[in-house]
Amino acid sequence: MSLDKFFNPQSIAIIGATENELNITSAIFNNLFEMGYKGTIVPVNPHYEKVFGLKCCPSILDYEDNIDLSIITISSEHIPEILSQHIERKINNVVIISGGFAETGKRGIVLEAEIKKICRENNIRIIGPNCLGVLNNYSNFSTFFLPWSKIKRPSRGHLSILSQSGSYAASMLDMLYLEGIGVSKFVSYGNRVDVGESELIEYLTGDDSTRVIGIYMESVDDGRRFIRASRLCSCYKHIVVLKVGRQESGINAARSHTGAIAGRYEIYKAAFRKSGVLEVYNLEEFLDACKVLLMQKPARGNKILVITNGGGFGVAVSDMCSDTGLNLAQTPPGIREYLSEHFPEFFIFNNPIDLTGSAGDKDFGIALKTAFVDNDFYDAAIIIPLMPPPAMTEGVVDVISERAKESGKPVVVCTIKSVYTKKTKEKFESKNIPVFMSPERAVKAMNVLVERGKMDGC
Amino acid sequence: MVVETSKNREVEKIVDKIVASGRIAALPDESLAMVELYGIDVPDYALVKTVEDAVAVSKEIGFPLVLKIASQDAQHKSDVGGVFIDLKNVEEVEMNYYKAIDNLKKNVPDAEVEGVFLQKQIPEATQLIVGGICDEQFGPAVMFGLGGVFVELYKDVSFRIAPVTEAEALEMINGIKAYPVLSGYRGARKIDIGQVAKTIISISELVTNCSIIKEVELNPLFAYEKSVKAVDARVILK
Repeated sequence: MSLDKFFNPQSIAIIGATENELNITSAIFNNLFEMGYKGTIVPVNPHYEKVFGLKCCPSILDYEDNIDLSIITISSEHIPEILSQHIERKINNVVIISGGFAETGKRGIVLEAEIKKICRENNIRIIGPNCLGVLNNYSNFSTFFLPWSKIKRPSRGHLSILSQSGSYAASMLDMLYLEGIGVSKFVSYGNRVDVGESELIEYLTGDDSTRVIGIYMESVDDGRRFIRASRLCSCYKHIVVLKVGRQESGINAARSHTGAIAGRYEIYKAAFRKSGVLEVYNLEEFLDACKVLLMQKPARGNKILVITNGGGFGVAVSDMCSDTGLNLAQTPPGIREYLSEHFPEFFIFNNPIDLTGSAGDKDFGIALKTAFVDNDFYDAAIIIPLMPPPAMTEGVVDVISERAKESGKPVVVCTIKSVYTKKTKEKFESKNIPVFMSPERAVKAMNVLVERGKMDGC
Repeated sequence: MVVETSKNREVEKIVDKIVASGRIAALPDESLAMVELYGIDVPDYALVKTVEDAVAVSKEIGFPLVLKIASQDAQHKSDVGGVFIDLKNVEEVEMNYYKAIDNLKKNVPDAEVEGVFLQKQIPEATQLIVGGICDEQFGPAVMFGLGGVFVELYKDVSFRIAPVTEAEALEMINGIKAYPVLSGYRGARKIDIGQVAKTIISISELVTNCSIIKEVELNPLFAYEKSVKAVDARVILK
């Protein structure tokens, strides 16, 4: 059964509707209004006649038309009863925002098992409980209860995020907004009684607006299904995963070495490898990996060209490259001769090519054309155009991005975080050339492209 | 999914025997028999229950011999003084047969003795470990690494989800840090990488086909220039 109604509902019920500003439910309404959600909204609450000017039903049993999706925020002990009303009304898709389930202890575990049973036996699909639920930027729909006044919502784009943690998903939104990265869909699925990442990956495989999927994972829902779903999906899209809880101890009572060493994490790593999933290790890498995969294609090999106008940055990038296993191969003789004919002799023609502080926009163009466009020796390039030298202007953005496009090979830009650079960064990124604000981040991002390139095609 | 082949039926028979006797750990001869069915080469071995059998069997296998206590209550046989190597004649076999049982009784008074395990002693080689497990979440998976202290101390191992292809098995081998040592770094003894890969694939097939196996391990797997031999195997059921 498709999950489409979770992302594109024509009609929704909000159980526990209220205008009370301190209640999370009012924020769900306000967020939907602010986004301009076009579907029918049916508030449900026996205590009110109207909520935000919409006719409020005492219970969903009192509403006769079709409801595609219901959003439940009421306290957990009432939810089984509410779900039985859903069975009666044939409402098959539910997002349960409320906490108070397995995360709270014994009673919650029993309650969670109960709703799981109801959902299995009656073919009701559930996202949650204990979650933020869904955001679809393309249908202006969300179940998020964190007000858009406090969390910035990125523009429409091609990144979708799946997260067990709600706070992580919300923070990602803010950071993506600041990075100027557009998103398609977000799902925070919390305790995951039903819909989990494997099925969501299957859904997103067929979602045209999703090109990269980022997953924040504490545990996997169904290991073999995850591998199958990801393997297929990664033929068409990129999947990045941040697995947390890596220190989890090994399988209990294992008596062979294999069992003792095979902590869960080792198996997760093996599973990611089998799935064509790229693993990253922290929040910053997660964001950078998603960004670089959105903007550039994977590298066909690991011979990296570095062009800079700042020697120190060239060295820093070189060190990082060799630590990471990227190959900073020396410039072949042909390239070197050509460059030495066209550039002053104090420029350095080895890799990194150092154009020094006297270089201007044009020099970056010449170096790129010679060593990267006209010559196919290198697989990818890291360009470090530091902006302060007098001959450097914003025109360098066009020069570099045009050459990058001509080459047909991946290029990332490394620069430093500064007031002036902010503008050039935006310009670069509007042309899909990703900019990273430190040598470390630029090299890691390049490594993502190289690693992705190494994975077998389908 | 159990593939119906004769080797699987034979493995199932051994499994049935283990289950019937109320154990989850296979005895050394049972473990070796299972991996042998999957095409893994092992030195000649036998489990005996009397000293007379020990003498007879040792003559048949030939010397030198290794003698080990067989008891499911002694998973680490050398810790309980239950391993004797380099036995050169029947007298030594006789003497150490009793010694092994005495040592076990001293160290683990309630231990049940299943017998004594005799095995042909083979020349020193590079010691590897190849394992398979059935993970709760991801199902069957395999492990490869250097054996002996390396696996305990450095955990220099690589894992893959089973079933693995030959390419994956080779990746596992050259994926460990110590790979240069296996490929003849500075005069180190080269090993038969192809045979090691084959062994990984066999273990991968065994854990994939036989879903009742929780863990299986060849430790050590002796790797020579032109062959490999599993000296010890251990199978644990779910």
